[in-house]
Amino acid sequence: MIRYFKDIITGAWSLIKGLFVTFKNLFSKAVTIQYPTQKLQMTERYRGLADLRVEKCIKCYMCVKICPTGCLSLAHKENAEKKKEFEHFKYNMELCCFCGMCEQVCPTQAIYMNKIYEIAVYDRDKITHIDLLNAGKYDEWAHPTVK
Amino acid sequence: MVSILTFIVMIVVGAVVLGFIAVSAMFLIWWERKVSAHIQTRYGPMRVGWHGVLQSVADVVKLLLKENITPEGVDKPVWWLAPFFAVVPSVMVFVCIPFGNLFGINLIARDLNIGILYIMALTSICVLGIFMAGWGSNNKYSLLGGMRSAAQIVSYEVPLIISMVTAAMFAGTLSMQKIVEAQKGMWFVFQPNMALAFVIFVISATAEINRTPFDIPEAESELVAGFHTEYSGMKFAMFFLGEYTNLFIVSALAATLFLGGWQGPFLSPVLWFLIKTYGIITVLMWVRWTFPRVRVDQLMGFAWKVLTPIAFANLVVAGWVLLR
Repeated sequence: MIRYFKDIITGAWSLIKGLFVTFKNLFSKAVTIQYPTQKLQMTERYRGLADLRVEKCIKCYMCVKICPTGCLSLAHKENAEKKKEFEHFKYNMELCCFCGMCEQVCPTQAIYMNKIYEIAVYDRDKITHIDLLNAGKYDEWAHPTVK
Repeated sequence: MVSILTFIVMIVVGAVVLGFIAVSAMFLIWWERKVSAHIQTRYGPMRVGWHGVLQSVADVVKLLLKENITPEGVDKPVWWLAPFFAVVPSVMVFVCIPFGNLFGINLIARDLNIGILYIMALTSICVLGIFMAGWGSNNKYSLLGGMRSAAQIVSYEVPLIISMVTAAMFAGTLSMQKIVEAQKGMWFVFQPNMALAFVIFVISATAEINRTPFDIPEAESELVAGFHTEYSGMKFAMFFLGEYTNLFIVSALAATLFLGGWQGPFLSPVLWFLIKTYGIITVLMWVRWTFPRVRVDQLMGFAWKVLTPIAFANLVVAGWVLLR
């Protein structure tokens, strides 16, 4: 008999405690954001798409060699002053596994992973033949049409 | 001539009531989504209209345009009738719910002298609709949902009716309007054994309208969607409408029987009634988004071992208080 009433009272008290928890949450600020209009800042170590600081690159081919999927393709030629010049530096995002090895191995921090995460496109060529030498290559993705 | 006028008045009143039910249900769906979202620290609907107020309108349009699918092997007459059985009794209950008076007109369609009895009789028919849906769907989940619903509602109707009888005993009448008038000086809920009856009423009403923590008839994680698994489009919308109308009805009953109905200072009676009703609805939503679902045996045990004895004891005490 005592247990019967004790169960009712302790049960009711635990329910009231639960209600209090949700009541506090009811007036707390929402943790979600309104996605396409509001966007999260990616963290320091987030690995987005591979990007290149063209002026820093010394064409050492380290990134091309270490890439586990072989998604980078680089070629160069020597000019009249025996300086290395780019022929092309292409990036195939379809193959990329976003491991960040290229970024780690680069002696001059020329190649790095940027913070872009909205990487869907309508045209397959746009992800298979990314020209890293083109400064405006990610403009369309970094600034999506929805504001 | 007089009969034609009465007929027109009846149609107008019916249209007003149906309009109120539809708008109220749409508002409640939006409100439920908002309350649940904020309890889970989300925003809820935000896109359609200001803070998503038109979300329900968009949903209704979608449901109206959807194809009406009749699965193979359903028991057609039962299957077709079930949504109507779920909605029509809920709408009929509105006949004797006192909304208070506005500009001298009493907003009650017909003040029946057996108001409470009438309401209890009609709300019991709703379970028939749910059971028909479960049986007619020819689907094991639906059948289980319907069976569970029938067992649950039969069990919880006992404490529900006993707590309503307590209110009727204190008021000395079964007419809803007169019960409200009896609470002129003091609302019933401020008397100790009526407060207990109020708590019992709210708990069993939650079970009666199949809401969490007592939503075993449509338990998503066990029964897909329970009795309305096979329904789509407008028929599903009717079940939904019935559910939210029932929610409004039990809250309106709680407000009328225990919280003084449309009685209250300063504000207009209609406003008082709506504030109390929607306040209770918000509390029920708060409860829904706080507690997990109970098991079937726990549910039955709670009804028969806890609520019913306490409700009976409360009734006896109320009788003693009245005869003293």
